[in-house]
Amino acid sequence: MTTNLIHNYIASGTSLKSKSGNQKSQGNSKKPMPHFDIEHELNNRTFIKPLEGKGRLINGNIFNMPALMVKDTIYDAKAFKHAVKGEANDHELGKLNDVGLKIGGLAIAGYLFTRKQTPMTKGMEFIGLASFLASMAIWPKIAIQLPAYLIHGINVQKQYEDSFGRKKPFYQDPQFIPWDLYSDKEIQKIGNRLGVPKDIPNRREAIQEKMKKIAIQNNTLWMLTAGFATPVMSALICNRTEPYLAKWLNDRKNKKADKILNNLEKYSEKYKTHTVSNKLEEVISLYGNKPIDNKLVEKITDTFALRLDPVTSEALKKDLKELMLSDKAYTIDDNTAKDISKNLKKLLKGQNINDSVINAIVPDEDTMIKLFKDNNFFNPAKETKEFQTIKNKIAKALQLNLRKYNKTVPEESQYDWTLIQQAIANNNKANHPVDKELFKVPGIKFDTTIQAKLRNIARITDDFVSKANALDEYAVLKVGSAPETVIANYWNNISKDILKIFGINYKDIKNVRFDRNIVGALVRNKIEDIVSNDELYKKVMQELVSKIAQINSEIKPSDLSVPLLKKEENLNDAQKAAARSAYDTLVDKEFNSYANSMKEKGFTHLSHAIAGFGPDDNKGTAKNIQKTFVSERLLGVKSSFYRLINTLDFFRRIAKQANNMESINMYPTEIKEEIIELCKIITLEGHSSDNATKFYMLRNQHPSTDKSPLEVKNGKVVNKYYGKAAGTADIAGDKYFYQRAMQLMFEEKLNPETAEILEKSIIKDEVLNYRDLVLNKIGGEYYMHKPRHRIRPKSDAGSTLKFLLTGIAPDEFFFKSGQQFFNSNKWFRIFSTFGAALLGVTVLAQFFFGKTKQGSAK
Amino acid sequence: MILPVNNTNSKNSINFSADGNEKDKKALKYNHDTLLKNNLATRTDIAIDKLTNAFTVYPAKGLKGSRNANFYEFLTMGNVPYLIGSLMLMNVFIGPVDSYSNFDKMKANPLGKKLALGVIFYGIAKSLSKSLISKPVHLMTGIDIERPYAKVNYELPDDVNDTDITSIEHHKVFESVEFPRYDLYYGDVGKGEERNFRYDKIAKKLGMGTGLNDSDQEVKARIREIVIKASLAKNISSYLWAATGVALAFQKPWENFFNVMTFKFWKGKEFGKTLGSFGKNFVKSVKALYKGEGKGLTKHAGKILIGASVLSSVIGVANTMHSSHKPSKVDAADVIKKDEKYVVN
Repeated sequence: MTTNLIHNYIASGTSLKSKSGNQKSQGNSKKPMPHFDIEHELNNRTFIKPLEGKGRLINGNIFNMPALMVKDTIYDAKAFKHAVKGEANDHELGKLNDVGLKIGGLAIAGYLFTRKQTPMTKGMEFIGLASFLASMAIWPKIAIQLPAYLIHGINVQKQYEDSFGRKKPFYQDPQFIPWDLYSDKEIQKIGNRLGVPKDIPNRREAIQEKMKKIAIQNNTLWMLTAGFATPVMSALICNRTEPYLAKWLNDRKNKKADKILNNLEKYSEKYKTHTVSNKLEEVISLYGNKPIDNKLVEKITDTFALRLDPVTSEALKKDLKELMLSDKAYTIDDNTAKDISKNLKKLLKGQNINDSVINAIVPDEDTMIKLFKDNNFFNPAKETKEFQTIKNKIAKALQLNLRKYNKTVPEESQYDWTLIQQAIANNNKANHPVDKELFKVPGIKFDTTIQAKLRNIARITDDFVSKANALDEYAVLKVGSAPETVIANYWNNISKDILKIFGINYKDIKNVRFDRNIVGALVRNKIEDIVSNDELYKKVMQELVSKIAQINSEIKPSDLSVPLLKKEENLNDAQKAAARSAYDTLVDKEFNSYANSMKEKGFTHLSHAIAGFGPDDNKGTAKNIQKTFVSERLLGVKSSFYRLINTLDFFRRIAKQANNMESINMYPTEIKEEIIELCKIITLEGHSSDNATKFYMLRNQHPSTDKSPLEVKNGKVVNKYYGKAAGTADIAGDKYFYQRAMQLMFEEKLNPETAEILEKSIIKDEVLNYRDLVLNKIGGEYYMHKPRHRIRPKSDAGSTLKFLLTGIAPDEFFFKSGQQFFNSNKWFRIFSTFGAALLGVTVLAQFFFGKTKQGSAK
Repeated sequence: MILPVNNTNSKNSINFSADGNEKDKKALKYNHDTLLKNNLATRTDIAIDKLTNAFTVYPAKGLKGSRNANFYEFLTMGNVPYLIGSLMLMNVFIGPVDSYSNFDKMKANPLGKKLALGVIFYGIAKSLSKSLISKPVHLMTGIDIERPYAKVNYELPDDVNDTDITSIEHHKVFESVEFPRYDLYYGDVGKGEERNFRYDKIAKKLGMGTGLNDSDQEVKARIREIVIKASLAKNISSYLWAATGVALAFQKPWENFFNVMTFKFWKGKEFGKTLGSFGKNFVKSVKALYKGEGKGLTKHAGKILIGASVLSSVIGVANTMHSSHKPSKVDAADVIKKDEKYVVN
C-alpha cells in the first residue's frame, strides 16, 4: 500500500502528536518555518486547499490570431528544448507531434518540389501542403464549430489555457471539463439559448450536461467527417488556387522578360562567365609553343564553339585553319627520318619482297637520320619547295643500296629499280611513304603572337555569347516551346475561354469528347447557330477578337513580332527599320557587331555565318535563326487564332450573303453548294496536306445548270443538289474550283460586322495580312498533279511557312481543349458535389444533437 | 478525506458493477488493469480491437453523446479520418480517371497510383520507423516505451438496464510522462515474482548496479527522461521517414510494377508475379531515390531526405541514450529508506 503521510498522521492520533511535539522541541533551532503548526494546518484543512486556478478561456479571433500564432510557436520551441533535455510534459510532447507532422509535410513538398520542372508545378507542391493543413484546421471550424454555434449557441471547439499555460480544447476530455472557467452568467446565458427550463434545480449542471453532450456529439462527427472532407477540400482549394498562381507567375515571368529586353547590357552580366577565354587559357597552357596541327585547330574550334551551331563552328574552323596553319613549311626532325625508313620498309614488304632484301635496300632508322643530318635536312620550318631535294636524296640512297645488293646475288634474284621506284610513286600524298612524313608537322608554332590574337577574339566572343544567352533567355521566356512560357500560358488560357465563348458546355463535350470528327460536327453546328443570329454573332466575334488580341498585350508587337504579318512593301528602309521589333533590332545590333569585329580580325567565314555579307543576305545565318525562332513560334500561334476568326467570318458570310459572293456567283447552284461545303470542311478541318493537294473533293461530274438562289436556313445551306448525285469523283482538271474556293475563304471582303469589330482592334492589320499571306504563300503553292491549281504566282515559301500559316485546325483545337475542359470539370463536379453534400449532411446532423431524454438532465 | 485509489488490484477491490457476481467477472477479459506482453500477437490484437471500436462502438457512443465518452475514445477515433482520408486522397487523384480519354488516362494513372502508393508508404514508414527508436532504446536501457497494458474502466450505466458497465482501453505504460503507470511495472509477489524485478533489470542495463534496495526509486526519474527523449525522437523522425516513404513511391520504377500488379490473390501465379515485381521495383526505386536525376539539388534531394531520416533516428537514439548512464539525479537524502523513520515538519 502506498504510504500516505497525512493518512498515517490522522490514523495514529495523539501518539504521533506527542512525538512530533518532542521533535519540535529538539529541533527548534534548525526549523526553517518556526511558526508553522502542522496540527493547526491539518485541523483547518488549509493544507489540502487547491491552489488558486490561473486557467482561462481563450477567445481567439482573426485579430489576435497572429499574436496567438507567435505565442504557439514560442511554446513549440520551448517544448522542443525541454524534450531534448528530457524534461517535457505530455502536452508539450503532443505539440511536438504536430510539429513533426508539419516537418514531414514540408519534407514531402520539398522533395516533390525538386522533382517538378516548372515554377507552377513546384509552387503547387507547397500550396498542396498548405491547403491540406489548412483544410484540417478549417473543416472543423466551418462544418462543426460554426453550425453548432448557430444552432445551439455553443462553441464546441472552445479552447482554454490551464494554470500552466498549456492550451487545450475545452471539451477534449469529457470526463474532465474545467467548468469553473465559465462564469455562472455565461452558462446561464447559454442555457437560455439551449432552452433549458429556468425553474429547475441545479440548472447550471443541467446546462453543462447538455453542453457536454453536444460537444461529444460534435467531436465524434468531426472525427467521422474529417477523413472525407480534408483531402477533398484541400484538392478543391488547390484547384481553385491554381489559376491565380498561374496568373501571378505568368505576370512575373513576363515582367522579367521585359526587363531583359530593356536592359540587355546589364542582364547579360550574369552570363559573363568568360568560358571561352578560360577554356582557351587551358589550351594555351597545354599546347603553347608547340607546332600547330589539325588536332590543335579542332581543339581551339571546340573552345570557341561552346554556343555556336555546327554550321557556324565549321566556318570558324576554316578561319582558324587559315590563321593558324601554313602549308608552306613543315617541321623535319629525327622522327621524320625514322618514320620514312619505317614506311618504306612496310611498303616494300607489301610488294612481296624478302625481309633480307628490304633490309639491304632501305636504310635503317639510324642510317636515315645520318642521311638527313649529313644533308642538313633537319629544320623546324623546312620549306616545301626543298622537299624534292630530300626525296631525291632518299631515292638515290635506295638506288645505291639496290645496286650493291644486285651485285651480290645471281641475276635471277636481282631486283629492278624501276619497279621499286614505281611502287613508291604509286601512292597519293596521304599514303606516300615519304610525303606523308614530310607534310606531317606544320612548321608554325602556337606562339605568343597567335595566342594574343586568339585571346582578343575570345574576349569579344565571350561578350557576344553573354548577350546572345540573355537574348535566348528572353526568347524562351516569351515564346519557348516549353511549359509555362508566356505563349504557352496564353494558349492554355484561351483554350478554356474559347469553349465558353462558343457556348460549348460540359454536357456538349461529355458525349463527343473521344472522337475528333464528332467534336468537329458539334463545333460546326455551334458556329452555324452563332452566325445565323446577328446579336449572338456580334457578341461572339467581339469576345473572340478581344481574347485573341490579348496576345498582343502579352507579347507586344513592338517587342517581338512576326515581320511577315506586317505589310512592308510600301515602306522605305528607314520606315522598315522603325517598324522592326525591339528584339529584332537588338539581335541585329549584337550579331552585326560581333560579325564585324570578327571580320576585322580576318575571320571572314565566321562573320558570314553569323550575319551574312549584307542586310539582305540572311539565309542560314545565326542572326536569322535567332530571329526566326521567335517569329515562327509566334506565327504558328497567331495563325491558329486568326484562322479561327476567318472561319467564323466565312460561316457568317455564307449565312448572310451566300447568294452575293463574287467569287462563286458565276456558278450554277449545284457547284455553289459543292464549293461552300468544301470550304466549310477546309476552314474547320483542313490540314497543311489538304492545301498542298489542292483540296480533293468528290463532285458531280455533270452538275445541273440550274442557277436558282441558294437556300440558307439557320446558318446552314439547304442543299438542293449536293450529296444527291451518284458516282461523284474529284475533277482534277478544274483549276478554277480551287481558285474560287481560295477566293471565297480568304479573298472575299469580310462580313461587315466582322470588319466593324476588327476595325477597333489592334489585331486588324495582322488578320488582314494573314489572309493575304495564305493567298500568296499557300495559294501559290505548286503541286505536280494539279500544276495549274494556283491562285497566285508560284510561291517560294517553304513547307515550314505553309505549315505555320495553316495553324491548328479549329476542330482539332476544340477536340483537345474540350478534353481538358471535360477532365477538370468532371473532377471538379464529382468532388465539389461530394464536398457540398458532406457539408450538408454534417450541418444537418447537428440539428439532432443535444436532445436529452425528459428528466435525464436532472 | 481523499484516499489514494489503489483498490483495483487487491482482493477487497471495490467493484462498481451493478451486478458483481463471480459469473460475470469471468466473462470479462480483464477485471483489473493488466500489463500485457509486447509481442506481435498482442499488438495485432490491440490494433484490431482499437480499429473495430474506432469504427463501431466509439462513434455510436459519441453520436449519442454518451456521458461515458472519454478522451481515449476520441483519440482512438483519430484513426478514422486517417484511414478514410488516405482512401479519399487516393480517390481524389484516381477516382475520375476512367472517364478520361485513353491518352489522359495513361498520363493520369501512374501518377494517381504513385500517389496511392505514397499514402500507403506514408503509413507504413511512419509506424515501422518508430521501432528504429524504441527497439534500440529497449535493448540498451531495458525500457520498453511501447509496452501495452489493458485498462479496465467502470462506467456509469446509461440506464437501469445497462449492466455492461466495463470498457477496456489499451494504453501504453509510458504513454504519459506525467502519469506513467509505474505501478504496473512491479512484480506480483503473489506469483512469486520479485517486486522490483523489472526495475532491477532496467537499473542493471543503465549501469546503476545490481542488488539495489530500491531500484524502482532509483530508475523512475531516469525512465521519465528516457521516455520523453524517445518520444521526441519518435515524433520527429517518424514523419521524416513517412516523407521518405512518399518520395520512394514517386520513383519511376513503380510504373513497371503498376503494369503487372493485381490484387486477385486467389490467382496464385499472377499474384506471385505481383509480389515478385513489387520486391524488384522496390529495390530499384530505393536506388532511384538515392541516385536521383538531373543535377544540383534535384539530383541529391533523395539522398538528403534519406540522410535526414536516418540522421533523425540516430540523433534521436543518441540523445535518448545521452546521460542515461549518468549517476542518479535523485539526491541520496531524498530517497526514503525503509528501515528509517521520517517525520514531516
